[in-house]
Amino acid sequence: MSLARTSRRPGRAGIARYGLWLALAVLCATVSLLSDRFLTIPNLLNVVRQAAVNAILAFGQTAVIITGGIDLSVGSVLAFVGVIAASIDHGGHPFVLVLIAALTVGAGLGALNGAFITYGGVAPFIVTLAALTIWRGATLVFTDGSPISGLSDAFRAVGNNDLFGLPASAWLMILVLVVTLVLLRRTGWGRGLYALGSSEDAARFAGLPVNRLKVTVYAFSGLTAAIAAIVLTSRLYSAQPTAGAGFELDAIAAVVVGGTSLSGGRGGAIGTLLGALIIAVLNNGMNLLDVNAFYQQIVKGGVILGALLLERVLSGRTR
Amino acid sequence: MLRLDGITKRFGEVEVLKGVSFDVLGGEVHALLGENGAGKSTIMKIVSGYQPPSGGRILLDGEPVRFQGVADATRRGVRMLYQELALAPDLTVAENLYLGELGRWVDDQSVRSRAAKHFKSLGLDLNPDSVVRDLSVGSRQMVAIARALTGSPRFLVLDEPTAPLTALETDQLFGFVRRIRDSGVGIVYISHRLEEVFRIADTITVLRDGRHIATSPAQDTTPEQVVQWMVGRSVLVHSRVSAPAEEEAWRVKVRPAHAEAHDLSLRKGEVVGLLGIIGSGRTDFTRAMYGIKGSSDWSGKAVKSASAAARLGIGFVPEDRKTEGSALPRSIEENVVLSNLRGVSRAGLISARLERASAEYWVKALSVRPPDVTRAVELLSGGNQQKVVLARVLAASPRVLVLEEPTRGVDIGAREEIYDLIAGLAKKGLPIVISSGDILEVLSLANRVLIFSRGRIIKELVAPLDYEEVVAYVAGANVA
Repeated sequence: MSLARTSRRPGRAGIARYGLWLALAVLCATVSLLSDRFLTIPNLLNVVRQAAVNAILAFGQTAVIITGGIDLSVGSVLAFVGVIAASIDHGGHPFVLVLIAALTVGAGLGALNGAFITYGGVAPFIVTLAALTIWRGATLVFTDGSPISGLSDAFRAVGNNDLFGLPASAWLMILVLVVTLVLLRRTGWGRGLYALGSSEDAARFAGLPVNRLKVTVYAFSGLTAAIAAIVLTSRLYSAQPTAGAGFELDAIAAVVVGGTSLSGGRGGAIGTLLGALIIAVLNNGMNLLDVNAFYQQIVKGGVILGALLLERVLSGRTR
Repeated sequence: MLRLDGITKRFGEVEVLKGVSFDVLGGEVHALLGENGAGKSTIMKIVSGYQPPSGGRILLDGEPVRFQGVADATRRGVRMLYQELALAPDLTVAENLYLGELGRWVDDQSVRSRAAKHFKSLGLDLNPDSVVRDLSVGSRQMVAIARALTGSPRFLVLDEPTAPLTALETDQLFGFVRRIRDSGVGIVYISHRLEEVFRIADTITVLRDGRHIATSPAQDTTPEQVVQWMVGRSVLVHSRVSAPAEEEAWRVKVRPAHAEAHDLSLRKGEVVGLLGIIGSGRTDFTRAMYGIKGSSDWSGKAVKSASAAARLGIGFVPEDRKTEGSALPRSIEENVVLSNLRGVSRAGLISARLERASAEYWVKALSVRPPDVTRAVELLSGGNQQKVVLARVLAASPRVLVLEEPTRGVDIGAREEIYDLIAGLAKKGLPIVISSGDILEVLSLANRVLIFSRGRIIKELVAPLDYEEVVAYVAGANVA
């Protein structure tokens, strides 16, 4: 009875989340049976570190996908922000300034996407696909193709130091998670995003500022890309002009595995966190088991497909 | 001859057709008239094989037939053309004409020449190579009819074919319809426009409340007589809303983008009804009031967007509750507070407690069933979905209400509850504008009605309102 009942609830949050926890647990159990190196503190911290960048990107992507949109540009925005931040850092400016500049540029590039989508009337897929190549190109032009290394101590601490036994990047991931959760669930902005994704007309007739919502949600995605850029640049001790290539796909995978619907109106950040962890455990497990890197991609794709099918079956939405 | 003999149809407990009989002859235009809910569309769905009847018989040339779906009816020569034209906009006229054959190996040249020949035989001046998207609405209508005629049907049902057309296009269409008739095809013509019916029809049949009321040669009757058949007897409908206060609440200048501008004075507690058939411009009018597809001015305050309208305190219930009224996948409580997010927030954050309290208050006040505020709106019945839309609008404490089709698709019990709610709000002094295709609904609530036709207001009537008079205006019988 409880199964049928919960699945009728909005967003299918109950059953989907329960299923995701279960999937993560089964995956961890399987990997730990196959490799005794999995359940060790250093390895688990490594998993979290690997999940952090993807999860941070995916939280912004979650907000965008809830509106029925998509942001393909996050990987390139990440690279662009990374080289901007690294070069400001190189100039000997305080790290706070680096942070402010990075976040501003990230949010600004996102807002630019949003403006083209909202006022230009171009589909999000097209606008952000164009932005993906434009900002990658701009990054290569800016760096002339070579990495910027030699970061300040403060910059290097973000991705590598620990705080209360957890990597600083994990704390950042948790911070972005909490902020995203509060924004989505407890602010008018978040409620507006869900309404927008359910039906743009309905959001408009309800008196919501639809245009502003659309622009700001892409700005939010740009902002999370900037945070991910700081973490990744710090972890690599340098800004790589090719950093973040293909990250948009991992972020989207985390979002959809996490139960957020690509058609908009349903989903949330907790699911996305679980989605990002599942992908990270999978990558880590296959590395521990020395699975051939070529096969890893096939397995990952299969698991994503399987997770989505399982979720559909559990929530009774298969045809 | 197509004979309907005692056709009945019931949906569950509700009997929508109570024994309808009439004959359609080859070579006549037979108009079918009736108010909303009289059973016109149900009977035509039965005739065209879309639905089986619950009882009674259909006879084709004296032979009882039982259609096994639309394709079967088409094969036997009975074809219906729906209001919504199903032409493929990016294909050419010729390709559309023989769309059914396109799965097979098609010779482009032969399709073109067959189309040209077909148009010639119908006396139509249409280029088979034109892309449908580039044609006027009137020409598309002709293409759709021409396509229906490719299978040489003996009976053709046209449902409101002139609704989207201009006067000139209507004239052309009528010329075409007469030519088809003269070739021996029997045409059933459904329309809300009396004046047009008297121009085109040879025979008129009137339905009311699922019953056959009268069939008469058009020349032996008058628009006044037909209106009486449609409404039953002449009745004064008393509004359940008491007379409004003298005090003016709003002075509204409405400027629709595609219809005539009009100024409107709303008094405290006044209910103003907007009536008119589809395409008459009343929806353009209400949308402009809310700053969509047009603009308005409310006692000096400009409204150019929906969010400006909402800020001013205009509560708006759009006609399509599924795509315009609610966020279907979201819960009742999220929907109820959606237009009043500030009201349930503390220090910028939505309070779960205030949200729950607000939703539960409105769910109780409007008796939304089931009273479970966490349930997704998409899982509710139509009537309860509509109540959630009303709850959302009322939760924002509006200073005026604009309602489009407030009870469309709502069952009778919930409908009464919504009427009582509207009357109660008016009594408390809220000015309300109701736009509806259901004339009796408007008459039972309004102090005053505005009647729309072809993009402008043609008549204003004040309560007590005479049903027959209003129907005559809406159907266009009183305009020369």
